Amino acid sequence: MDLLTTSVATVESDSEPYTLVELTGEADVTNSDALREVLDAEVAKQPRTMIIDLSGLRFMDSSALHVVLRANRVMDRQGGVLALASPREPVAKMLRLTAADQLIPVYPSVREATAG
Amino acid sequence: MTGNMYDGLRITRAGSGNQRAGVTEYPSGSAAEVRMSESTATAGLFRHVAFFYRTAEEYATTMAGFLGDGVAAGEPTLAAVPEGQLGLVTDALGADARRVEFADMTEMGRNPAWIIPRVQAFVGLHAGQHVRYVGEPIWASRSPAELREATRHEALINLAFAGADAEILCPYNAAQLGQAVITDARHTHPLLLSDGSAGTSAEYAGPFGLPSSCSAPLPARPDTAVIHTYRSDLSQVRALGMESAGEAGLPDDRASDLVLAVSEVAANTLRHTPSSGTLAIWHDPHEIVCEIHDDGVITDPLAGRRRPAPDALGGHGLWLVHQVCDLVELRSDTTGTTVRMHMAIRSPRPLR
Repeated sequence: MDLLTTSVATVESDSEPYTLVELTGEADVTNSDALREVLDAEVAKQPRTMIIDLSGLRFMDSSALHVVLRANRVMDRQGGVLALASPREPVAKMLRLTAADQLIPVYPSVREATAG
Repeated sequence: MTGNMYDGLRITRAGSGNQRAGVTEYPSGSAAEVRMSESTATAGLFRHVAFFYRTAEEYATTMAGFLGDGVAAGEPTLAAVPEGQLGLVTDALGADARRVEFADMTEMGRNPAWIIPRVQAFVGLHAGQHVRYVGEPIWASRSPAELREATRHEALINLAFAGADAEILCPYNAAQLGQAVITDARHTHPLLLSDGSAGTSAEYAGPFGLPSSCSAPLPARPDTAVIHTYRSDLSQVRALGMESAGEAGLPDDRASDLVLAVSEVAANTLRHTPSSGTLAIWHDPHEIVCEIHDDGVITDPLAGRRRPAPDALGGHGLWLVHQVCDLVELRSDTTGTTVRMHMAIRSPRPLR
Protein backbone atom coordinates (compact mmCIF):
# COMPACT_ATOMS: atom_id res chain seq x y z
CA MET A 1 0.00 0.00 0.00
CA ASP A 2 1.24 3.43 -0.87
CA LEU A 3 2.22 5.74 1.94
CA LEU A 4 0.18 8.53 0.39
CA THR A 5 -2.89 8.22 -1.80
CA THR A 6 -4.55 11.09 -3.60
CA SER A 7 -7.97 11.25 -5.14
CA VAL A 8 -9.25 14.10 -7.23
CA ALA A 9 -12.81 15.03 -8.10
CA THR A 10 -14.67 17.94 -9.57
CA VAL A 11 -17.60 18.57 -7.33
CA GLU A 12 -20.76 20.29 -8.52
CA SER A 13 -22.13 22.60 -5.90
CA ASP A 14 -24.97 25.09 -5.61
CA SER A 15 -22.74 27.96 -6.62
CA GLU A 16 -19.97 26.73 -8.88
CA PRO A 17 -17.97 23.55 -9.27
CA TYR A 18 -14.76 23.16 -7.29
CA THR A 19 -11.81 20.80 -7.37
CA LEU A 20 -11.55 18.51 -4.36
CA VAL A 21 -8.25 16.77 -3.66
CA GLU A 22 -8.30 14.18 -0.88
CA LEU A 23 -5.00 13.19 0.70
CA THR A 24 -4.80 9.98 2.72
CA GLY A 25 -1.83 8.56 4.59
CA GLU A 26 1.50 10.26 5.23
CA ALA A 27 2.94 13.07 3.10
CA ASP A 28 6.70 13.50 3.34
CA VAL A 29 9.84 14.06 1.27
CA THR A 30 9.63 10.54 -0.18
CA ASN A 31 6.35 11.27 -1.97
CA SER A 32 6.34 15.06 -2.34
CA ASP A 33 7.30 14.84 -6.05
CA ALA A 34 4.25 12.65 -6.71
CA LEU A 35 2.06 15.07 -4.75
CA ARG A 36 3.47 17.95 -6.76
CA GLU A 37 2.54 16.24 -10.03
CA VAL A 38 -1.03 15.72 -8.87
CA LEU A 39 -1.48 19.29 -7.65
CA ASP A 40 0.29 20.82 -10.68
CA ALA A 41 -2.03 18.94 -13.02
CA GLU A 42 -5.14 20.19 -11.20
CA VAL A 43 -3.90 23.76 -10.82
CA ALA A 44 -3.14 23.83 -14.57
CA LYS A 45 -6.87 23.40 -15.22
CA GLN A 46 -7.33 26.81 -13.61
CA PRO A 47 -10.18 26.00 -11.25
CA ARG A 48 -11.80 28.92 -9.40
CA THR A 49 -11.62 26.96 -6.15
CA MET A 50 -9.49 24.06 -5.08
CA ILE A 51 -9.97 22.39 -1.70
CA ILE A 52 -7.48 19.95 -0.27
CA ASP A 53 -9.18 17.60 2.20
CA LEU A 54 -6.60 16.68 4.84
CA SER A 55 -8.88 14.60 7.07
CA GLY A 56 -7.19 11.34 6.05
CA LEU A 57 -3.67 12.69 6.40
CA ARG A 58 -1.89 11.29 9.46
CA PHE A 59 1.38 13.14 8.84
CA MET A 60 2.69 16.01 6.77
CA ASP A 61 6.25 17.33 6.67
CA SER A 62 7.75 20.56 5.36
CA SER A 63 8.40 19.05 1.89
CA ALA A 64 4.69 18.41 1.46
CA LEU A 65 3.96 21.88 2.85
CA HIS A 66 6.22 23.43 0.22
CA VAL A 67 4.30 21.61 -2.52
CA VAL A 68 1.05 23.04 -1.15
CA LEU A 69 2.57 26.53 -0.82
CA ARG A 70 3.73 26.35 -4.43
CA ALA A 71 0.27 25.34 -5.61
CA ASN A 72 -1.16 28.23 -3.59
CA ARG A 73 1.16 30.69 -5.35
CA VAL A 74 0.01 29.57 -8.77
CA MET A 75 -3.67 29.55 -7.73
CA ASP A 76 -3.19 33.10 -6.43
CA ARG A 77 -1.62 34.23 -9.68
CA GLN A 78 -4.51 32.69 -11.63
CA GLY A 79 -7.05 34.50 -9.48
CA GLY A 80 -8.25 31.27 -7.92
CA VAL A 81 -8.51 30.23 -4.29
CA LEU A 82 -6.85 27.30 -2.55
CA ALA A 83 -8.23 26.15 0.80
CA LEU A 84 -7.32 23.39 3.22
CA ALA A 85 -9.98 21.41 5.06
CA SER A 86 -10.16 19.33 8.26
CA PRO A 87 -6.50 18.83 9.19
CA ARG A 88 -5.89 16.51 12.15
CA GLU A 89 -4.23 18.19 15.11
CA PRO A 90 -0.57 17.35 14.34
CA VAL A 91 -0.99 18.69 10.79
CA ALA A 92 -2.97 21.71 12.01
CA LYS A 93 -0.22 22.51 14.50
CA MET A 94 2.41 22.30 11.80
CA LEU A 95 0.39 24.72 9.65
CA ARG A 96 0.21 27.13 12.62
CA LEU A 97 3.92 26.92 13.51
CA THR A 98 4.95 27.68 9.94
CA ALA A 99 2.26 30.39 9.70
CA ALA A 100 1.06 28.69 6.51
CA ASP A 101 -2.44 29.04 8.01
CA GLN A 102 -2.02 32.82 7.66
CA LEU A 103 -1.46 32.39 3.95
CA ILE A 104 -3.90 29.63 3.05
CA PRO A 105 -7.35 29.49 4.65
CA VAL A 106 -7.84 26.39 6.81
CA TYR A 107 -11.40 25.19 7.51
CA PRO A 108 -12.69 22.57 9.93
CA SER A 109 -14.53 20.77 7.12
CA VAL A 110 -14.89 20.67 3.34
CA ARG A 111 -18.46 21.96 3.70
CA GLU A 112 -17.24 25.06 5.53
CA ALA A 113 -14.47 25.52 3.00
CA THR A 114 -17.00 25.61 0.16
CA ALA A 115 -19.05 28.18 2.08
CA GLY A 116 -15.78 30.19 2.07
CA MET B 1 29.60 53.80 42.11
CA THR B 2 26.05 54.61 42.98
CA GLY B 3 22.96 54.52 40.86
CA ASN B 4 22.77 52.95 37.48
CA MET B 5 25.99 51.18 36.59
CA TYR B 6 24.86 50.81 33.05
CA ASP B 7 25.46 54.52 32.44
CA GLY B 8 29.17 53.90 32.74
CA LEU B 9 29.06 51.68 29.72
CA ARG B 10 28.19 54.49 27.40
CA ILE B 11 31.63 55.94 27.94
CA THR B 12 33.03 52.77 26.41
CA ARG B 13 31.64 53.66 23.08
CA ALA B 14 33.68 56.88 22.97
CA GLY B 15 36.68 54.61 22.59
CA SER B 16 39.22 55.26 25.34
CA GLY B 17 39.67 53.55 28.66
CA ASN B 18 42.14 51.70 30.79
CA GLN B 19 42.31 47.96 30.23
CA ARG B 20 42.72 45.90 33.34
CA ALA B 21 42.12 42.19 33.53
CA GLY B 22 39.88 42.29 30.52
CA VAL B 23 37.57 44.90 31.94
CA THR B 24 37.91 48.55 31.21
CA GLU B 25 37.28 50.81 34.14
CA TYR B 26 36.08 54.31 33.80
CA PRO B 27 36.22 57.30 36.06
CA SER B 28 32.92 58.29 37.54
CA GLY B 29 31.51 61.42 36.02
CA SER B 30 28.37 62.72 34.58
CA ALA B 31 27.01 59.76 32.73
CA ALA B 32 24.18 61.89 31.41
CA GLU B 33 26.68 64.24 29.79
CA VAL B 34 28.50 61.38 28.15
CA ARG B 35 25.25 59.94 26.91
CA MET B 36 24.24 63.22 25.33
CA SER B 37 27.58 63.70 23.64
CA GLU B 38 27.86 60.24 22.17
CA SER B 39 24.28 59.48 21.40
CA THR B 40 24.47 60.83 17.87
CA ALA B 41 27.86 59.29 17.15
CA THR B 42 26.84 55.78 18.14
CA ALA B 43 23.15 55.82 17.44
CA GLY B 44 22.06 52.56 15.91
CA LEU B 45 25.03 50.62 17.18
CA PHE B 46 24.26 47.10 18.36
CA ARG B 47 25.27 46.48 21.97
CA HIS B 48 25.33 43.14 23.75
CA VAL B 49 26.21 43.39 27.42
CA ALA B 50 26.68 40.70 30.08
CA PHE B 51 25.76 42.01 33.51
CA PHE B 52 27.21 40.02 36.42
CA TYR B 53 25.20 40.68 39.59
CA ARG B 54 25.49 39.36 43.11
CA THR B 55 22.66 41.01 45.01
CA ALA B 56 19.00 41.67 44.41
CA GLU B 57 19.58 45.40 44.98
CA GLU B 58 22.30 45.57 42.35
CA TYR B 59 20.04 43.65 39.97
CA ALA B 60 16.98 45.82 40.54
CA THR B 61 18.88 49.12 40.30
CA THR B 62 20.71 48.33 37.09
CA MET B 63 17.71 46.76 35.39
CA ALA B 64 15.50 49.67 36.34
CA GLY B 65 18.17 52.08 35.07
CA PHE B 66 18.52 50.31 31.72
CA LEU B 67 14.82 49.87 31.14
CA GLY B 68 13.86 53.23 32.66
CA ASP B 69 16.26 55.06 30.32
CA GLY B 70 14.54 53.30 27.42
CA VAL B 71 11.10 54.27 28.64
CA ALA B 72 12.24 57.89 29.17
CA ALA B 73 13.54 57.99 25.61
CA GLY B 74 10.33 56.52 24.27
CA GLU B 75 12.13 53.38 23.09
CA PRO B 76 10.39 50.02 22.80
CA THR B 77 11.65 47.85 25.66
CA LEU B 78 11.27 44.13 26.28
CA ALA B 79 12.43 42.29 29.39
CA ALA B 80 12.50 38.49 29.60
CA VAL B 81 13.73 37.20 32.96
CA PRO B 82 12.83 34.16 35.08
CA GLU B 83 9.40 34.53 36.65
CA GLY B 84 10.82 34.87 40.17
CA GLN B 85 12.86 37.91 39.13
CA LEU B 86 10.04 39.83 37.45
CA GLY B 87 8.77 41.39 40.69
CA LEU B 88 12.20 42.83 41.51
CA VAL B 89 12.30 44.62 38.18
CA THR B 90 8.72 45.88 38.14
CA ASP B 91 8.99 47.15 41.74
CA ALA B 92 12.19 49.05 40.95
CA LEU B 93 10.69 50.52 37.79
CA GLY B 94 7.52 51.75 39.47
CA ALA B 95 5.11 53.42 37.05
CA ASP B 96 7.54 52.95 34.14
CA ALA B 97 6.91 49.21 34.32
CA ARG B 98 3.65 49.72 32.46
CA ARG B 99 5.61 50.80 29.39
CA VAL B 100 7.90 47.79 29.34
CA GLU B 101 6.86 44.48 27.79
CA PHE B 102 7.65 41.62 30.17
CA ALA B 103 8.00 37.91 29.56
CA ASP B 104 8.75 34.95 31.79
CA MET B 105 12.03 33.59 30.41
CA THR B 106 11.42 30.11 31.89
CA GLU B 107 8.57 29.93 29.36
CA MET B 108 9.72 32.15 26.47
CA GLY B 109 13.23 30.69 26.57
CA ARG B 110 12.66 27.22 27.97
CA ASN B 111 14.08 26.13 24.65
CA PRO B 112 16.75 28.82 24.14
CA ALA B 113 16.30 28.54 20.35
CA TRP B 114 12.89 30.22 20.76
CA ILE B 115 14.43 33.46 22.02
CA ILE B 116 16.13 34.92 18.94
CA PRO B 117 13.01 34.73 16.72
CA ARG B 118 10.92 36.21 19.55
CA VAL B 119 13.30 39.18 19.92
CA GLN B 120 13.61 39.53 16.15
CA ALA B 121 9.83 39.81 15.98
CA PHE B 122 9.98 42.58 18.62
CA VAL B 123 12.72 44.41 16.70
CA GLY B 124 10.79 43.94 13.46
CA LEU B 125 7.59 45.26 15.00
CA HIS B 126 9.45 48.45 15.93
CA ALA B 127 11.53 48.78 12.76
CA GLY B 128 13.28 52.14 12.55
CA GLN B 129 13.39 52.56 16.32
CA HIS B 130 16.17 51.92 18.79
CA VAL B 131 15.08 48.89 20.83
CA ARG B 132 16.11 47.74 24.30
CA TYR B 133 15.94 44.14 25.41
CA VAL B 134 16.85 42.47 28.68
CA GLY B 135 17.31 38.71 28.37
CA GLU B 136 18.26 36.41 31.23
CA PRO B 137 18.39 32.99 29.59
CA ILE B 138 20.75 31.36 32.09
CA TRP B 139 19.87 30.41 35.65
CA ALA B 140 21.37 28.00 38.13
CA SER B 141 18.82 25.18 37.86
CA ARG B 142 19.24 24.78 34.09
CA SER B 143 20.32 21.24 33.11
CA PRO B 144 23.80 20.79 31.55
CA ALA B 145 22.24 20.39 28.08
CA GLU B 146 20.14 23.52 28.62
CA LEU B 147 23.21 25.45 29.76
CA ARG B 148 25.07 24.41 26.61
CA GLU B 149 22.20 25.59 24.44
CA ALA B 150 21.61 28.82 26.38
CA THR B 151 25.32 29.64 26.05
CA ARG B 152 25.14 28.90 22.33
CA HIS B 153 22.11 31.18 22.12
CA GLU B 154 24.08 33.98 23.79
CA ALA B 155 26.88 33.57 21.23
CA LEU B 156 24.42 33.56 18.33
CA ILE B 157 22.83 36.81 19.51
CA ASN B 158 25.95 38.58 18.16
CA LEU B 159 25.38 37.11 14.73
CA ALA B 160 21.59 37.39 14.64
CA PHE B 161 21.53 41.06 15.64
CA ALA B 162 24.76 42.33 14.09
CA GLY B 163 24.04 45.82 12.80
CA ALA B 164 20.59 45.93 14.41
CA ASP B 165 19.54 49.09 16.20
CA ALA B 166 19.27 47.20 19.46
CA GLU B 167 20.75 47.25 22.92
CA ILE B 168 20.74 43.91 24.74
CA LEU B 169 21.49 43.44 28.44
CA CYS B 170 21.96 39.90 29.78
CA PRO B 171 21.96 39.52 33.57
CA TYR B 172 23.99 36.67 35.10
CA ASN B 173 23.63 35.74 38.75
CA ALA B 174 27.34 35.52 39.55
CA ALA B 175 26.58 34.49 43.13
CA GLN B 176 24.85 31.29 41.98
CA LEU B 177 26.27 30.37 38.57
CA GLY B 178 29.48 28.38 38.19
CA GLN B 179 32.71 30.03 37.15
CA ALA B 180 32.65 28.19 33.80
CA VAL B 181 29.31 29.82 32.95
CA ILE B 182 30.66 33.27 33.78
CA THR B 183 33.80 32.63 31.72
CA ASP B 184 31.61 31.61 28.77
CA ALA B 185 29.60 34.83 29.15
CA ARG B 186 32.84 36.79 28.77
CA HIS B 187 33.40 34.96 25.49
CA THR B 188 29.87 35.55 24.20
CA HIS B 189 29.48 39.22 25.11
CA PRO B 190 31.48 42.08 23.59
CA LEU B 191 30.61 44.25 26.60
CA LEU B 192 30.65 43.56 30.32
CA LEU B 193 29.15 45.18 33.38
CA SER B 194 30.58 43.91 36.65
CA ASP B 195 31.47 45.07 40.16
CA GLY B 196 30.57 48.64 39.40
CA SER B 197 32.68 48.88 36.29
CA ALA B 198 31.77 48.67 32.65
CA GLY B 199 33.77 47.98 29.56
CA THR B 200 34.67 45.72 26.72
CA SER B 201 35.37 42.03 27.16
CA ALA B 202 38.92 41.14 26.19
CA GLU B 203 37.81 37.49 25.84
CA TYR B 204 34.96 38.20 23.41
CA ALA B 205 35.15 35.55 20.68
CA GLY B 206 33.53 37.59 17.89
CA PRO B 207 30.19 37.08 16.13
CA PHE B 208 31.14 33.62 14.85
CA GLY B 209 32.87 32.46 18.03
CA LEU B 210 31.34 29.65 20.07
CA PRO B 211 32.68 28.66 23.50
CA SER B 212 33.93 25.07 23.55
CA SER B 213 31.29 24.16 26.15
CA CYS B 214 28.62 24.49 23.48
CA SER B 215 30.55 23.48 20.37
CA ALA B 216 32.57 20.44 21.50
CA PRO B 217 31.17 17.02 20.58
CA LEU B 218 28.10 16.11 22.64
CA PRO B 219 28.43 13.79 25.63
CA ALA B 220 28.29 10.13 24.56
CA ARG B 221 24.82 8.62 24.32
CA PRO B 222 24.01 5.79 26.74
CA ASP B 223 24.70 2.18 25.73
CA THR B 224 21.02 1.45 26.22
CA ALA B 225 20.01 3.61 23.23
CA VAL B 226 17.90 1.93 20.55
CA ILE B 227 19.65 2.31 17.19
CA HIS B 228 17.96 2.34 13.78
CA THR B 229 19.59 2.93 10.42
CA TYR B 230 17.46 4.38 7.62
CA ARG B 231 18.03 5.05 3.97
CA SER B 232 14.66 5.85 2.46
CA ASP B 233 11.83 4.69 4.74
CA LEU B 234 10.81 7.65 6.87
CA SER B 235 7.50 6.04 7.82
CA GLN B 236 9.47 3.42 9.74
CA VAL B 237 11.55 6.15 11.41
CA ARG B 238 8.34 7.86 12.53
CA ALA B 239 6.79 4.60 13.75
CA LEU B 240 9.85 3.86 15.86
CA GLY B 241 9.82 7.40 17.26
CA MET B 242 6.12 7.13 18.15
CA GLU B 243 6.56 3.73 19.77
CA SER B 244 9.54 4.88 21.85
CA ALA B 245 7.73 8.06 22.90
CA GLY B 246 4.81 5.95 24.10
CA GLU B 247 7.11 3.64 26.07
CA ALA B 248 8.81 6.64 27.67
CA GLY B 249 5.44 8.01 28.77
CA LEU B 250 5.33 11.07 26.55
CA PRO B 251 1.74 12.30 26.07
CA ASP B 252 0.28 11.80 22.57
CA ASP B 253 0.45 15.43 21.42
CA ARG B 254 4.08 15.76 22.44
CA ALA B 255 4.88 12.39 20.88
CA SER B 256 3.52 13.79 17.60
CA ASP B 257 5.77 16.83 18.02
CA LEU B 258 8.82 14.64 18.54
CA VAL B 259 7.91 12.48 15.54
CA LEU B 260 7.61 15.58 13.34
CA ALA B 261 11.04 16.79 14.50
CA VAL B 262 12.70 13.42 13.95
CA SER B 263 11.07 13.04 10.53
CA GLU B 264 12.20 16.52 9.44
CA VAL B 265 15.82 15.86 10.42
CA ALA B 266 15.74 12.41 8.79
CA ALA B 267 14.24 14.00 5.65
CA ASN B 268 17.36 16.17 5.46
CA THR B 269 19.44 13.00 5.26
CA LEU B 270 17.43 11.87 2.22
CA ARG B 271 17.51 15.32 0.64
CA HIS B 272 21.14 16.23 1.16
CA THR B 273 23.21 13.07 1.51
CA PRO B 274 23.72 9.98 -0.66
CA SER B 275 24.15 7.72 2.35
CA SER B 276 22.08 6.43 5.23
CA GLY B 277 21.40 8.10 8.55
CA THR B 278 21.32 6.74 12.08
CA LEU B 279 18.57 7.32 14.62
CA ALA B 280 19.33 6.68 18.29
CA ILE B 281 16.62 6.90 20.95
CA TRP B 282 16.95 6.71 24.72
CA HIS B 283 15.04 7.92 27.74
CA ASP B 284 15.22 8.28 31.49
CA PRO B 285 12.41 9.23 33.91
CA HIS B 286 12.81 12.90 32.97
CA GLU B 287 13.23 13.02 29.22
CA ILE B 288 13.28 11.17 25.95
CA VAL B 289 16.07 11.97 23.52
CA CYS B 290 16.17 11.25 19.79
CA GLU B 291 19.47 11.75 18.01
CA ILE B 292 20.10 11.65 14.30
CA HIS B 293 23.52 11.46 12.73
CA ASP B 294 24.26 11.64 9.04
CA ASP B 295 26.96 12.76 6.59
CA GLY B 296 25.30 16.10 5.85
CA VAL B 297 26.86 19.43 6.76
CA ILE B 298 24.91 22.40 8.11
CA THR B 299 27.00 25.54 7.75
CA ASP B 300 24.52 28.22 8.86
CA PRO B 301 24.89 28.67 12.64
CA LEU B 302 21.43 30.26 12.78
CA ALA B 303 19.66 27.47 10.86
CA GLY B 304 16.21 26.99 12.36
CA ARG B 305 16.47 30.10 14.54
CA ARG B 306 15.02 32.54 12.00
CA ARG B 307 11.31 32.42 11.29
CA PRO B 308 10.97 31.65 7.57
CA ALA B 309 8.57 33.80 5.58
CA PRO B 310 5.25 31.92 5.45
CA ASP B 311 5.46 31.54 1.67
CA ALA B 312 9.15 30.56 1.62
CA LEU B 313 9.68 27.30 -0.21
CA GLY B 314 12.42 26.16 2.15
CA GLY B 315 13.79 26.62 5.64
CA HIS B 316 10.74 25.30 7.49
CA GLY B 317 12.29 21.97 8.45
CA LEU B 318 14.77 22.98 11.15
CA TRP B 319 12.45 25.79 12.20
CA LEU B 320 9.79 23.20 13.06
CA VAL B 321 12.36 20.99 14.81
CA HIS B 322 13.33 23.82 17.16
CA GLN B 323 9.72 24.94 17.66
CA VAL B 324 8.28 21.59 18.70
CA CYS B 325 11.15 20.30 20.87
CA ASP B 326 12.05 21.31 24.41
CA LEU B 327 15.70 21.46 23.47
CA VAL B 328 17.72 20.79 20.33
CA GLU B 329 21.48 20.41 20.16
CA LEU B 330 23.19 20.50 16.80
CA ARG B 331 26.81 19.79 15.96
CA SER B 332 28.01 19.86 12.39
CA ASP B 333 31.40 19.74 10.74
CA THR B 334 32.94 18.17 7.67
CA THR B 335 32.56 14.70 9.20
CA GLY B 336 28.79 15.01 9.47
CA THR B 337 25.90 16.37 11.46
CA THR B 338 24.41 15.27 14.76
CA VAL B 339 21.04 16.63 15.90
CA ARG B 340 19.97 15.70 19.43
CA MET B 341 16.32 16.40 20.22
CA HIS B 342 15.15 16.47 23.85
CA MET B 343 11.58 16.20 25.11
CA ALA B 344 10.71 16.46 28.81
CA ILE B 345 8.39 13.62 29.78
CA ARG B 346 6.45 15.83 32.15
CA SER B 347 6.18 19.18 30.45
CA PRO B 348 6.79 21.97 32.97
CA ARG B 349 3.98 23.95 31.31
CA PRO B 350 1.27 23.20 28.84
CA LEU B 351 2.64 23.72 25.36
CA ARG B 352 1.21 26.11 22.85
